[in-house]
Amino acid sequence: MSGRFVSATLVRGLGLVLSLAYAGFIIWLYTMQPRTMAEVAGGVAAGVGVYRIDQASFDEGLRFFRADKFVEARNAFERADPAKQHAPTQFYVAYSYLRQGWGRVYSDDALMKQALAAVERAVAVAPGGVVRVDDARVTLKTSDELRAEIERNLTREVSDFNPLKVFRERP
Amino acid sequence: MDAHAHRRGVALATREAIVLPLLLLTVALGGGFRMMGTAGQLVFLPPSLMSLVLGLLLMAALFRARVLQPERLMQASRPPLANLSGAIVLFALFAASAQVFNTTTPEAGLLQLTFNVFYVLLLANTLAARPDRARLLSSLMIVLGSAFVMKYVVLAALYDQHGGITRRVLMALLEGVTLGGLAFDTPAPATGYVAFFTLLCYLAALILLPSADAARLDPASAALTRRGPDTPLVTEARHADASLPLPLPEAGAGAGAGTRRDPDDR
Repeated sequence: MSGRFVSATLVRGLGLVLSLAYAGFIIWLYTMQPRTMAEVAGGVAAGVGVYRIDQASFDEGLRFFRADKFVEARNAFERADPAKQHAPTQFYVAYSYLRQGWGRVYSDDALMKQALAAVERAVAVAPGGVVRVDDARVTLKTSDELRAEIERNLTREVSDFNPLKVFRERP
Repeated sequence: MDAHAHRRGVALATREAIVLPLLLLTVALGGGFRMMGTAGQLVFLPPSLMSLVLGLLLMAALFRARVLQPERLMQASRPPLANLSGAIVLFALFAASAQVFNTTTPEAGLLQLTFNVFYVLLLANTLAARPDRARLLSSLMIVLGSAFVMKYVVLAALYDQHGGITRRVLMALLEGVTLGGLAFDTPAPATGYVAFFTLLCYLAALILLPSADAARLDPASAALTRRGPDTPLVTEARHADASLPLPLPEAGAGAGAGTRRDPDDR
């Protein structure tokens, strides 16, 4: 008799685990709003710790980025991290938008907004909520610095009219 | 007999703890699914406040018609695990009910308002009419099916940029009428297919909800519900699965589908 009770209990226990896991997946979908099936699959893979980027595409993207070929760099980063779950890749995507939109006289707001969206994606998936890159060729090495620079470029203030601003260094 | 009761107990637990939650959660997932544009961008639309209100009204109608019998899902005499799976079914049913309205209602504009007013009036009418289980299920099938056809077939065809035979036929039928400023985003075909599957899942889940009427229609479960005035409530099957609730008074012999006594009348 107890064996029979256990089997019904097991079914209920299994159902409980399945239901909670499925409900968690649904809440994740509605919260994170993945845009493609690749992002859904990547998000699930990242959730169980098996997500890997395409390292060759990432390295290629980095080469393009260092050569100031930002559109090509982002295409390569997109191939490397289709699910947008790798914080350093998203950091470089944001950086590519920043450098492409940065200007000595004025900045391109549309590109800066895309940079901000990318850096927020990077922070969202970064352990501890901050991204650090060990790259001597970039000035801004953390997501905090990058975000602050992007926001400065998006903000209109009196110092924008300072003519000496044209001599500032590119980030 | 013991083996039969045991199998039945496991089957009931499977339905309540696995099948129903998975069906209802699938509805909660599919109800907000939208595919945008030709790029196939996914959007998961959470239920609007109005959808939540309509979902609650629908739950009330389901309760009134005894499609939903909460005492068969949560009860002091059931084990904690059974009550927990019952609570999950109730929560999932509410989420699914809200999402069913989310998927069958246009996303914005006057059309959304029209659909919502239509739903509120229909649900209020249903609550006042106090239909029985079978009639409510039939009515829901018609209402949700009609709303689906209206949104995903008629409106989608009318607002289709490329046109088509359906659009031409509809425009010919509505000769002289223009769409004016009525805004409607034509859903991608995949959205319609998912919505159709979602509605089917929802109706299947409602049919599977544990109820005295459903048990009476199932010959295998006759022992659970058929009892005379002197028959003890506890049956052998109840021993097999302690989570089975007590048969309800209105489940007794002679209570036909259309002549159910309302709990308020007792």
